[in-house]
Amino acid sequence: MLRTALRQATRTVSAMTRLSLSTNVAATSSIRLLRPVCSQLQIQRLESVEVPGPYTPPIHLTFKVVEERVLKTIRTWDRVPQDKVDQVKMESHFVNDLGLDSLDHVELIMAFEDEFGFEIPDGDAEKLMTPQAVFQYICDREDVYE
Amino acid sequence: MNSLRSQVLGLYKTLHFLGRDYPKGAEWFHSRLKKAFERNKGETDPQKIKELIGRGEFVVKEIEALYSLRKYRAMKKRYYDQ
Repeated sequence: MLRTALRQATRTVSAMTRLSLSTNVAATSSIRLLRPVCSQLQIQRLESVEVPGPYTPPIHLTFKVVEERVLKTIRTWDRVPQDKVDQVKMESHFVNDLGLDSLDHVELIMAFEDEFGFEIPDGDAEKLMTPQAVFQYICDREDVYE
Repeated sequence: MNSLRSQVLGLYKTLHFLGRDYPKGAEWFHSRLKKAFERNKGETDPQKIKELIGRGEFVVKEIEALYSLRKYRAMKKRYYDQ
């Protein structure tokens, strides 16, 4: 069964080669032309494929960007004392200068977590008492070097 | 003593995070949460503090149960019409 099928296949292939040899020049050239057309179609199809889902390319953080975002997070945090918004500096102490209590501090750390997209463990959070310390921590964590 | 403090702060963080999706609104939950913690801020007896932390953890479990019930109800509503 298999043998006969094989034999038939070889026969048809040899017949086809004979045919293609005998066919005129126009037909063979059209076959030759067909190949690049196919590959072009494939390229077009690949180009039209869209990347699914919202993909935001990773932002390249620099010292300046991190500093701005740290300060922005503090200023836009909803419970920052309104009279002290302008006094927020990199050196100001959260508890002594801004008058936050430890619960506010926890909330502020959560705001930083949301802003920079990673979790700050409780053990590290209690050492971050100034924007400068937060800035340093984020730069270490995110490998910011310029 | 210090470990109790960090436990309390961790509990506050957990509750604050859970409160973001509270049905009555995050604002409502967070103001009450803050008041509840400030009410006992003068507590110094370790035994009493542990008791209060236990109560907070109970509330965490309650809120988790509430959320899973809410999810169950929402899914039931989607799949069965009644």
